[in-house]
Order: sequence, then C-alpha cells, then structure tokens
Amino acid sequence: MSNVDMEGTMGLRHAWQGLHRSLVLAGLTAPLPVVAVPVGWFGTLFVATWTDGRHAPWAVRALVTIGQVLVVLLWVASALWMTHALTSRPLAEAARRRARRWFGLDLTVGYAAPAPVTRMATGFWWDGREYHKSEREARRRAAMNARFHDPQVKWDGLWALVAGVTVFPVTALPLVAAGVGVWLAGSGRTVIGLLILIVALVAGVFAGGVFRPVAVRFLGPAAGARLRQLETLQADLTQTQAAELERIERGLHDGAQARLVAMGMSMQAAERMVDADPEAAKAILAEARASSRVALEELRSLVRGINPPVLVERGLVDAVRALALDVPVQVTVHAAVPSRPERPVESAMYFAVAELLTNVTKHAHASQVTIDLGYAGRELTATVTDNGVGGVPAPATSSSRVGSSSGGSGLAGIARRMAAFGGRLEISSPAGGPTRATVSVPCVL
Amino acid sequence: MRVVIAEDLFLLRDGLVRLVQSYGHQVVAAVDSGPAALEALLKERPDVAIVDVRLPPTFSDEGLQAALAARREVPGLPVLILSQHVEQLYAGELLADRDGGVGYLLKDRVLDADQFIDALTRVAAGGTALDPAVVAKLLGRPRRADPLATLTERERSVLSLMAEGISNTAIAARLFLSEGAISKYTTSIFAKLGLHADDDTNRRVRAVLTYLSATAPDA
Repeated sequence: MSNVDMEGTMGLRHAWQGLHRSLVLAGLTAPLPVVAVPVGWFGTLFVATWTDGRHAPWAVRALVTIGQVLVVLLWVASALWMTHALTSRPLAEAARRRARRWFGLDLTVGYAAPAPVTRMATGFWWDGREYHKSEREARRRAAMNARFHDPQVKWDGLWALVAGVTVFPVTALPLVAAGVGVWLAGSGRTVIGLLILIVALVAGVFAGGVFRPVAVRFLGPAAGARLRQLETLQADLTQTQAAELERIERGLHDGAQARLVAMGMSMQAAERMVDADPEAAKAILAEARASSRVALEELRSLVRGINPPVLVERGLVDAVRALALDVPVQVTVHAAVPSRPERPVESAMYFAVAELLTNVTKHAHASQVTIDLGYAGRELTATVTDNGVGGVPAPATSSSRVGSSSGGSGLAGIARRMAAFGGRLEISSPAGGPTRATVSVPCVL
Repeated sequence: MRVVIAEDLFLLRDGLVRLVQSYGHQVVAAVDSGPAALEALLKERPDVAIVDVRLPPTFSDEGLQAALAARREVPGLPVLILSQHVEQLYAGELLADRDGGVGYLLKDRVLDADQFIDALTRVAAGGTALDPAVVAKLLGRPRRADPLATLTERERSVLSLMAEGISNTAIAARLFLSEGAISKYTTSIFAKLGLHADDDTNRRVRAVLTYLSATAPDA
C-alpha cells in the first residue's frame, strides 16, 4: 500500500471518526435546543394570532408584545425545566463516559442517595425535610428529594443548557451540511454537493473539539461538591435537631408530664381519704411529694442537656470548668478567651468539649486531662489533651452521605457539628498516647 | 432572725416570705433583682439572706455575684443560695473565703420546710448547708494528693454529712450509730485533716472546706 493510500485511509478514518463523534455529541446535547426551538417558534406563532389584525395605539401594542414575549419565554422555560428533570442526569452521565473514553478525562461525580426515613415519637415519619403520615409516602418523597433536589442534577442541568448552545450547534451543523451535500449530489448538482460534503467532513473532524473545554468546565463535580457538602451538612443538622427534639419531647412526655398526672391522681385520692383514713392520706401525699422531686430532677437533667445553666449564666470558660469538675478524672483547665462568643458558637464549642471529655473518660484510661481554651487569629480553639492510651482514629471528614451511617454520635458527630460553624476537629493520637483533640471555630471576639 | 429574701419569681418569693414568717422569723426585705439584693444586704445586714442564683437584670448569676460582693464588704455575712441547679463551681466560689455561714441548696429543698429552715438556721449560726447533690459529686471525685485519702469509708460518709451541715445528733440518726461514735469519728477526721482545738462549729466548717479545697477546680 502506498503512502498516499495510507494517508487517504487515515483521512477517511479521521473524517468518519469526526462524523461519529459529532453525531454522538449532537445526540447527547440535543434535548434542550430540540425542545426549546419548536416550543419557542410555535409559541411565537400562536401568541401572534391573539393580536392578528387588531389596531391599537403603539404604546398598547408595545405592552402587548412584551406580554407575548414573556408568555413565550415562560413556555420555553417550563418545557426546558421538564426536559431537564427527565434527561439531564442520564445525558450528563453518558457525556462523562464519552469524555473518559475519548480524552481520558476523569469527571467522577456523586449523586445523592435518598435520605433515610425515621419514625418520630409522634408517630410521623421524617424524610430529612418534612413529616409524613405514612412510611411509604416518606420514602417516596425522600427518593424524589434525592432526585430533584440533588445539586449535582442542577449542575447537570447547567451543563445541558451550556452544551445545548455551544456543543450542539457546532456538532450538528457539519451533520446537517453533510446531509445537504449528499442530497445535492444525489439530485444532480454533483460538484457543489460533493464540495459541501467535503467541507462538512473536515468541519466534523474539528467540531468535536468544542466538547472538551465545555466538559472540563461543566461536567465535573467542582462547583457541585461544596454545594453537596453543605446540603449534607444541612441534612445532618436537621436530622440531629429532629432527634434532639424527639429526645426532649420523650423526656417531657414520659417523665415530668406523666409524673404530674400521677401526682394529681394521688392528691385526689388523698383528698378523699383525708377524713376517713388520715394516715393513708398522709402516706399518699408523702409519695406525691417524692414524685414531684423526681419530676424536678428529670426536668433539671433535661434542661442541662438542652442548654447547661452554667453556660447560660457564665459562658464557655466557666461552663467548661464546671464540666471538668463533674468528670472523675483530674482535669486542668487553662483559659485565655477575651470575651463571650456568640451563643450558638459557645454552645457548639461547649458540647464538643463535653463530648471529647466523655470520650476521654470512657475510652482513654487517662489519669490526667488538660483543656486549653484560647482565641487567636480570629479563631476560638479548645484543645483536650489526655495521657491515655491513644490510638484514636481521625474522624472521617469526607462528605459521604451521613445520616445513613452513625447518625451524629462520636467524633464524626463533633466534626460535623463544628463544620456547621465553619470549624473543624483535629486529632493527633499515636498508639500509646498522648491524645490531643482540637476543635476550632472562626469567630470574632 | 432578720431575713432578706432575693427571688425574682413572685410566687416563690411570696412563698418563701410566708414560710420564713411561719417559723417566727422576720423578713426585713424581699427583693427581686441583683442590685436590689446587694443594696438590701448591705443596708439591712440581716442575720441570714436567702438569694436566688439567677436574678434580673441579666438573668445570669446576678444573685450569686451580689452575695459574693456583700460578703466581701461584710465578711461572714450568712447567705443561703438557692438555685434551680447546683454546681460545684459555684459552691467552691461561695466557700472560697473560708468564713463559713454559707449555704447552697436546690430550690426544691424548700418542699421540706423543716429541713429548709433548719439549714437556714445553721447558716445563720455560721455553719454550712450544702446540697446533698453537690456533696455527692464531690465525694465521687478521686484526686491525687488527696488529704481525704487517709479517711476511712465511714469517716468519709460522716464528713459528707457534715458538709451538708447536719448536726452530730442527726448524723447519728442517719447512720444508725450512737452520738458518741459520731463524735469519735469527727475527732479522728479533725486529727487526720490536721485541724486542732478551735470551737466546734468552726472546726466543722474548716473540715468541710478542706474537703472542698481538696476537690476544688484547678483554674
């Protein structure tokens, strides 16, 4: 085979490959323009019939025209929205596969999984956003939320839109031109037809080139990642908050409330017996009083769990000191915090330290703990150092969909709650100790 | 006794006034805020004051601060602090001046009127009245260099009841021991803690303070 032949074959293969890529790309990016153009076109024609042959002052006509344009835009937008919801994700995924095969681009992205549904103490089902009466409904809504409120899908929609006005026309044009060329050649105008076909084939080789930059910018997870992380955080927080509310509700419902009812009943009994059997009445009243004490204790511990009184009264530093007094380990507190941080920050910090301290007393077998509270460089930090056994694994910081996993306890829970304030948790814990855990939150004091 | 009461909740204040009066004591002032409490304490110099920890205007530890300030002016001014919750931190601060005459009780202790008035009387007499909840926590704290480490189990329980401010007779009744046995225990506690001849009330207060300082927070 001669060199010329070889080059010819190569050229042909290039041309064919170009045409094939253009075909694929045009197909993958077609839905939005293919929907938008006819909807817009026929919509325009249709709204034009509303005013056909009517006469009116120019100002009125201008207003009517603006109205007609808006109506058409609304139609186009809703058509695009529906198309996007149905096609964006599968087409974006297909485009990603092509990008990997053709250019070796790794555009791995993650789509949200349906949030787990949980049954609340009230009997309702929580899908991470709303309450539902039945589990089935909650699951259906969770699946829908995952599908339509996934930031990655919204990002895919942007890809579809951008590709629809860039990749689609560029890749579709050579195909159309090739078709026109073939048709012209077949209908007698051979020279002009072949000429157009050749230009189309050459254009087709280069047309695919527009795909790469657009794909790099819009198909990757870059902008979606932070959004997804925030969304995860939000879901976690609502989940944690819901669980917390549930705990409080249960505490009040099963504890204090029930006790008050029982007390009322006892008193009623005592009231009836007070003449007939004063001794028994006294005994019942004594019991009721004991019950009121227990109710108070329950309320007290509940309040402590929601917002520890010392934290309210004195702020973070003294609250941590009080906390240190309550654990059965020698705890030294050093504090250099110029003033009280904002309440939510303070509270988050406090509960993080409390959790760390609980971990130490539970697992570290430490005899000596130091807590350093400090503020420097617009960052509030708390470091809990113990002389225990160490070997604590660092908390998972990946934005894996949580709620399905641990649900908010332990180190990962602290890390997530700190993340809500833009803060973080760092742990250094070599086997054998010492363990040093630092939580920090940016804030201005 | 001349009593000052500082409590912001009207119902509770009213109840306390009536309770104290029903035991034949005189309420010389009943106020509802921190500044008013401080003023009343310094002006009236009562035999004992009942002060709520959390008071207006800040609804933080206004009452406790007023009590501490008054005691700085008038050392040993007897104050019984009432609170919805008890904290070792606050107990430590109250006892830090080592003058005695302080009490720190949960609000619901007023439900047992006799015991409450008893505690109030002890505080007025320069003794201490700590809530069992505080004492229980203090007792549960293992400490290094603990002067209490040398105490036996029985001595510890006697000391913890002393910290609550209970008299020997009452301790004897609670532990099902004779009063003689209790005074033997107290003597050995005083000896072990290195507290010698002084009048008994003060020695008891100091024993309790030793106990507390052994468990005090490291700042």
